[in-house]
Amino acid sequence: MYDKTVRRRRAVLALLVVLSLLLLTAYFGESPSGRLHGVQRDFLTVVSPIQDGANKALKPVRDLFSWFGNTLHAKSQLSQALRQTDKLRRELVADQAEKRTYHQLISLFHLDELGVKSYRPVTATVVLKSPNIWYSTVGIDKGESSGVRLNDPVINAEGLVGKVAQVAGDGALVDLITDSSMGVSARIGKSAASGLVQPKVGDPNDLLLQYLPNNAPANPGEYVVTAGSVAPGESLYPPGLLIGQVTSVDEESAYKSVNVHPVANLHDLDVVQVLTSSPGGRAANLTRLASTLQAGQQANDGGGGQLASTQVGG
Amino acid sequence: MNGAAQGSLALRLAALAFVVVLFQIGVVSEVPVFGVNAELTALLVAFVGLLCGSTVGAACGFAVGLAIDLALLQTLGLTSLVFTLVGYWCGRLRELRDPQAALTPLLVGAGASAVALAGYSLMEFMLGVDAPVSFELLREIVLIVVVNSIVALPMWALTRRALEGALPEDPRRRRRRRAYTTGGLSPLSKA
Repeated sequence: MYDKTVRRRRAVLALLVVLSLLLLTAYFGESPSGRLHGVQRDFLTVVSPIQDGANKALKPVRDLFSWFGNTLHAKSQLSQALRQTDKLRRELVADQAEKRTYHQLISLFHLDELGVKSYRPVTATVVLKSPNIWYSTVGIDKGESSGVRLNDPVINAEGLVGKVAQVAGDGALVDLITDSSMGVSARIGKSAASGLVQPKVGDPNDLLLQYLPNNAPANPGEYVVTAGSVAPGESLYPPGLLIGQVTSVDEESAYKSVNVHPVANLHDLDVVQVLTSSPGGRAANLTRLASTLQAGQQANDGGGGQLASTQVGG
Repeated sequence: MNGAAQGSLALRLAALAFVVVLFQIGVVSEVPVFGVNAELTALLVAFVGLLCGSTVGAACGFAVGLAIDLALLQTLGLTSLVFTLVGYWCGRLRELRDPQAALTPLLVGAGASAVALAGYSLMEFMLGVDAPVSFELLREIVLIVVVNSIVALPMWALTRRALEGALPEDPRRRRRRRAYTTGGLSPLSKA
């Protein structure tokens, strides 16, 4: 009787471990369009209404907990915000004079063709958030039925949030800019030189603007925005989307590295906008071009994608 | 344990797992404490193992892990594997040692959280996920273990309350109870 119990217990454990390993191997080996990924997408489609409902029902509880944390955090932010307001006010006066010239140049060179106006923003609610430090992803309640496509940029009122990584019928998964898989072609303020913004190794909540030419100006407090260029391996982000603020600069290597703190509060996302592109539009064409470049780049070289992307991104 | 009792336990476990997974995804993952999020699911699996034994613990760990991997579009099978082992080991702890100290849930919860997070990290490294490897990771794991230790006792009470009445009777516990009430002899021999 005892032997039978022991045998059954060990058999159950072995079965579950083998099943997990089989799932792991199959999932890791298949492409994103594979069967198991499809099952996940179907599962997301089924549970998104439940998650959406639970998200709305549990929002008061979440807000209550967040209130305590935010209140403590707000005090330290207040003095920082006041200093920043003074600085911005001075900058605003200076920038107003330049604004008129800037708009004239924009019209002259048609540089706004790739701006946010080329996109059709779809407002979505965040319904789930990955709770671990390995994946910086959130789930939203808008999917293919609302025109959301793979690699569409995602923003909120503060700035760039991420891009669409997986799409289901009524939901999608968004990789945040702090996800290890992300990389965004970006530049600092008015500088023409661009680099690649990626999550900072060792601190998943901060970003690193890499491969910036050594002579490119970079000072703490300056804002980092999307370069609006097509980089291999990345989707197309409209130019001028705010990503973060420079915290420090490292000039020790051949390229300049800049530490960037994201402006969007990625821990407290409720509503975001997906910048979808209308079929046949210029933005859609360039997104397709980005994916073509990605495929070509992967075929040609496997290792130097990051550096190459900055070259194209510039 | 008869069929009806097993059915009742399975039903309660499924309902409890569903609620906890939903709460973890909907609330806990969006409310950072000390900059990290508690891992209620790891605690649930550990406590189910501690209350129901290794087989049920392992099965519950597999199911909860699979639900999380599916819901969060993570690598399928990874959380299942880690949680299966956590549930099994907590179940074996009950079967071999049957700890009765008041702080057992706290220690088991902390231990299970640490094992789950370390196991998950190890698996991610083995799979080559490009994630930050640094003191930050260690700090985050330690903080999650601390936060989980804080919520371990309420979570233990909740799990026990939810499964009360459907828990399997432990032969070791039954023997101990009889020894306590009859001085080690069966009531018949005492008579």
